[in-house]
Amino acid sequence: MTALLEVDRLNKRFGGLHAVKDVSFALEPGSITGVLGPNGAGKTTLFNLLTGFLSPDTGAVHFDGHPLTGLKPHRIVNRGLARTFQLARPFLGMTVLENVEVACLAPSVRHAGHPRARAQRWLGEVGLGDKSGWPVDVLPYGDLRRLEIARALATRPKLLLLDEPFAGLGSREVEPLAALIRALHHSEGLTILIIEHKLREFMQLVEQVIAMDFGEIIAIDTPAAIVRHARVVEAYMGKAELTLRHNEPTGAGDGIA
Amino acid sequence: MRMFVLSPSKMSMFSVDWLAGLLALLVLAVAPWLFASGYVIGVMTVALCFGIWAASWDFMSGLTGRENFGHSLFIGAGAYTAGFLNVNFAVNPWWSLLAAPVVAAVFSLAVGFPTLRLRGPYFALAMLSGAAVMQNLTIIFSRYTGGQDGLNGLDPIVDSTLGYYYLTLVLLAAITLVLKLIAASPWGIILRAIRGDEASCQAAGINVTFYKIASLTISAACAGLGGALYAHYQLQVGPDLFAVVLSINIIIMVYVGGIGTIYGPVGGAILLNVLTESLRVFSEYRLWMYTLLLVFILFFMPQGLIAPLWWRLRRRLSP
Repeated sequence: MTALLEVDRLNKRFGGLHAVKDVSFALEPGSITGVLGPNGAGKTTLFNLLTGFLSPDTGAVHFDGHPLTGLKPHRIVNRGLARTFQLARPFLGMTVLENVEVACLAPSVRHAGHPRARAQRWLGEVGLGDKSGWPVDVLPYGDLRRLEIARALATRPKLLLLDEPFAGLGSREVEPLAALIRALHHSEGLTILIIEHKLREFMQLVEQVIAMDFGEIIAIDTPAAIVRHARVVEAYMGKAELTLRHNEPTGAGDGIA
Repeated sequence: MRMFVLSPSKMSMFSVDWLAGLLALLVLAVAPWLFASGYVIGVMTVALCFGIWAASWDFMSGLTGRENFGHSLFIGAGAYTAGFLNVNFAVNPWWSLLAAPVVAAVFSLAVGFPTLRLRGPYFALAMLSGAAVMQNLTIIFSRYTGGQDGLNGLDPIVDSTLGYYYLTLVLLAAITLVLKLIAASPWGIILRAIRGDEASCQAAGINVTFYKIASLTISAACAGLGGALYAHYQLQVGPDLFAVVLSINIIIMVYVGGIGTIYGPVGGAILLNVLTESLRVFSEYRLWMYTLLLVFILFFMPQGLIAPLWWRLRRRLSP
């Protein structure tokens, strides 16, 4: 099976900071993968490179067999690669329904049926069906996260990139959202890539974890195994901590999970 | 049941809006017969020209939130096009109504392409300086533009004052209708989304740059048409048509009318033009009173006067 997304030695520097360094990985169609790393590890920069919001200094991204490098963000979305933002970015001054309707007007899906009706359907899909008439300005934060997902889904992506979807959510909101993501993955056959800096949320969600630190991929493994990688532990606990726990290296992972 | 009057354009297809629009048009059509003075009709004709400019400003800047501080660039471009063709080449003034929008649209592409692709204040600054540069160019190239005196002796498009008023009214109504229809269409939803968040718009698969430039071009074409109408009415064009103060006045009219509603700014333009004229009796206190009134309106009614007034009235009308 050929990969849906192929990232080949991607590099991005901001002045002296090497934000993304020789990053290569591939995503199989239908997979669900997490990108793990402490704050500043280059996760969001990587997302911005994949979605065209930033262009890489070197390296290439292939999606569905076609190169994405140099394409504008809206073109990449129309190719089937949609994203959400780390901080929800709704269209203020519009209703919840209109927020999703905008995405239903993207060229690739524009003629797929009545935009308003489709927007309503996507809102139902993420559990916001009864709030479609609300001004988005009064929507609670947890719902804004769902709105972001509905807006991304409305472009009918093959690959969905979620930038810290659980950030800022209360403990009771996390599991329902994880269930929603899981359901989307199963029912729509959607390939999903999730950024998270805490492992707990997506331990049960993802099949594979890409761990990053200082712009580099330090390990790619299953969630259960990733916490046993020395460099992952080091990235999270720091070297001093690691030395302290020198005698019990296998236990270190529990601290992260 | 809770009612949200957040997006006026969403409900604008209701028949009550159409009825109100027709009623307003009727009032404007009857108005000259009530006053029957050439002076008042003249004031009203100018007010309608401002209505075209305010509506066209609102279509681009009001909907997308990208403030255009040099709308006079398009007005002047349209007016001078009319002046050149008519004075220098004796072209029939009706052709101005075609040529002026085209030239203004070309100007909008020249400013829009390099600046609207970027985020930040570049567009506002480029429009502001574009208009200022053009104003100075009319003086530098005075051989062709008549310099400070401008071009004089344009032919009127229609001879009678009343006829000109109706011509302007018809064009204003047509422009308002078309812009309002576009604003209520998916296109309008996209423009308001751009106002909300450009990056999100891109993430929703929308070509933001295209929509911004295209709506600026439509806005410019309408403003240019208004410029040509104004030029053939005044029978004269001058550098003041490029002036920044003209752009600022239009922006004030939009805010007073209710930004982002298209019809509100038309009302704002008519209201403020009539107000300025009626305050003439107070001679030297006129500017004071005008300014105080503006501050009052914008302070206590930040959403404007005309459109919110209509929303309130409509809520009263609908069961």
